[in-house]
Amino acid sequence: MPVLEVERLTKRFGEVLAVDDLSFAVRRGEIFGFLGGNGAGKTTTLRMVLDIIRPSSGRIAVFGNAPDKRNTAAIGFLPEERGLYGHMSAIDTIVYFARLKGMAAAEGRSHGLELLARFDLADRATAKISDMSKGMAQKVQLATALVNRPQLLMLDEPFSGLDPVNQGLLEDEILRASERGAAVIFSTHVMQHAERLCDRLLLLRKGHKRFEGTIDEARATLPARIAAIAPRSIAAVAGVAHAEPVEDLGAGWHEWTITLAPDTEVGEVLERCTTGGVPLRRFEERRASLHDVFVSLVGTAEVQP
Amino acid sequence: MNRASIMLVARREFRQIAAMKSFWLTLLLVPIALALGPIVGQALEDDEATRVVVLDRSGGTARAAIVDRFEFEEDRYRLSALSRYVRRHGLEQADPQAPWAQHDRWYTAADVAAFRAQGGMDAAIAALDAVKPEETSSFEAPEPQYEFPAAPETLVAASDDELDARVDTLLDSEGDEEVATVVMIGRDYPADPTIRLWSNEQPATSFVTVLQDVLTGDLRQRLLTGRGLSPQEAQAIQSAAPAIAVTTPPPGGGAREALLIRSIVPLALAYILMMSLMLSGSWMLQGSVEERSNKLLESLLACIRPEELMYGKLLGALAVGFSMILVWVGCAAVVAFATHGAIADMIRPALAPLTSPGIILAMIYFFVAGYVAISILFVAIGALADSMSEAQGYLMPILLGILLPITFLIQAIVMGQTGIMVQVLTWVPLWTPFAVLARLGAGIEMWEIVGSGVLLAGFVWLEIVFLGRLFRASLLSQGQKPGLKQLFERFRATPQ
Repeated sequence: MPVLEVERLTKRFGEVLAVDDLSFAVRRGEIFGFLGGNGAGKTTTLRMVLDIIRPSSGRIAVFGNAPDKRNTAAIGFLPEERGLYGHMSAIDTIVYFARLKGMAAAEGRSHGLELLARFDLADRATAKISDMSKGMAQKVQLATALVNRPQLLMLDEPFSGLDPVNQGLLEDEILRASERGAAVIFSTHVMQHAERLCDRLLLLRKGHKRFEGTIDEARATLPARIAAIAPRSIAAVAGVAHAEPVEDLGAGWHEWTITLAPDTEVGEVLERCTTGGVPLRRFEERRASLHDVFVSLVGTAEVQP
Repeated sequence: MNRASIMLVARREFRQIAAMKSFWLTLLLVPIALALGPIVGQALEDDEATRVVVLDRSGGTARAAIVDRFEFEEDRYRLSALSRYVRRHGLEQADPQAPWAQHDRWYTAADVAAFRAQGGMDAAIAALDAVKPEETSSFEAPEPQYEFPAAPETLVAASDDELDARVDTLLDSEGDEEVATVVMIGRDYPADPTIRLWSNEQPATSFVTVLQDVLTGDLRQRLLTGRGLSPQEAQAIQSAAPAIAVTTPPPGGGAREALLIRSIVPLALAYILMMSLMLSGSWMLQGSVEERSNKLLESLLACIRPEELMYGKLLGALAVGFSMILVWVGCAAVVAFATHGAIADMIRPALAPLTSPGIILAMIYFFVAGYVAISILFVAIGALADSMSEAQGYLMPILLGILLPITFLIQAIVMGQTGIMVQVLTWVPLWTPFAVLARLGAGIEMWEIVGSGVLLAGFVWLEIVFLGRLFRASLLSQGQKPGLKQLFERFRATPQ
């Protein structure tokens, strides 16, 4: 049974269609990337999963139940817009959220202290949030999402506002959660994180699903390209859809960018060059990056490298 | 609905407010102000006798008559006060024949004479102390209002031309020699009945009335004897007066007095409800605005339902209100215990309404329901506003709408009025708790209590439904200033 199952989910705000007929499922131990530009419907979908807002139509099942039958003890959530009670101490904040999720205070405190130690904040456990830097407060908030060892961890734009060190720390926590069997969903429009972390990902554009699958499957949606240095005869090799000369290197040699015909493997073209006597000084496959896929499916305006 | 979550939110709200300096300042300032009030009042009270110099240039007995009459009036007033004390504590057995044990008449000259003959105030207090229970406070006789020192030599020796200047000097003097009023009876009195009066402020009407009464009596006596009547006959005519028999309820039992005393606890409750609501409401509002401006809500709503958050906030506000009341009532109880004499005497009849379990239940019900009915407005405003200044914009018209009529209402109850305004306020749910609480002491029909109570319960239920929707719908619409149309849509909206 998937940890989270979304079926034909639609959400309208008046005339605005925020989420359009969206279906996906996330399984135990899986890291699921929720990719899309601003206003793609990522936050709205996560809020519907948490029952903060209700869908216009469609079905959501969290651990097999409707989201209104809350299982907060098994869910961790880090919102995009972050904030905590300024007058509370770090550990009291963590314990407060632990208790709201049904944990005993003592257990919440001991795991909270463990998390703070892992986040290099052990000596600031009793410091007030208002006396902490923004980065420290963000780590405390991450601890509030993790304190209950959630089986479904949802992170909305978790990397925004974090420095590179803390981004690494967050990546570690995502991997750690996945290793202990939690389903992790995180939304982002930063492709590097998705490429490094995601088992599967979903691309959203204006509330509509444009792609769902693994990173390799995503890359495969765009034809592979080959960078080659060869004579002009390479353009006639079977399987080459288009050969674009980049630079004339003299003595009959050119640098080419080659686009393959659909369903043509790179290896097949290399073999035909060899058997057909087409000399090669360079033959390098360039697979589409996730960035290319995102730009292709979602649009250039929505991407952040 | 998760009760544990509600309690957690309530506890956090309470702790947040209890951590505020303003909470502790208010908690302590109110009893301190209430304690200091009487002390400051006493300090400011002018309990020194007014010194009056009577300069009698006629060489007759007018000055002595004036002084005698004022002393008589003072003694009658003290006798009357002593009589009320004796009646309040049932101490007549100390001397059943003494004038102060007779409560059925307006004291005459004969009564005052008898009082003086029996040893005056000192003898009366000694007799009463012998029989009064130990816990009964002693009688404190009122201080005399006027003092008549002899006219200073400078004034006696002053010529007519010098008189005004010397009187001015005398009136300007300070300290023990300070004189407030100078009365001069001229050399040609009674042929010229003009009496001159200098005063450094507007003289009290009662003073002028008694002065005029004494001198009118003197003039009439002279006129009557001048027409051939013997001084005894003239005096008999002068002193002819009806004997006024007086029937009054015991102290604290008079209609107006009783109403006021019985209304002390209910009125105090209405005031306390108002004060604690305003204070805890504004603190709670501050907390709600902090949650919105700190972008905390989404984290919270991932753990608890909006309704649980709302109920937790209401419960927290209620706990803050009750803790303030507990402290204030506790302070009042300590004061009453420490001064178990005079204050306890006053409080005892004031606590009379609390002898009825029905009234106690009604007080608790209307207090709690009133708290919830108004606090929920603060919660809803907290969900709408992104900043305190924005919250004030919503709050001011609502507070004015609630508080202004209550000010008039409490005045009306104190004056014993139960007119159309009091009736209307009793039946409009936002004002019902204040109106019913304030009226409980003065007397309110049972059907009015039950009817307005049911209406109030219905109103609170509607508030919870509609303001709950507004709360839920407004929580996540940060930065969006709702117009009237959007507000109505949020009231109407089922969760979305």
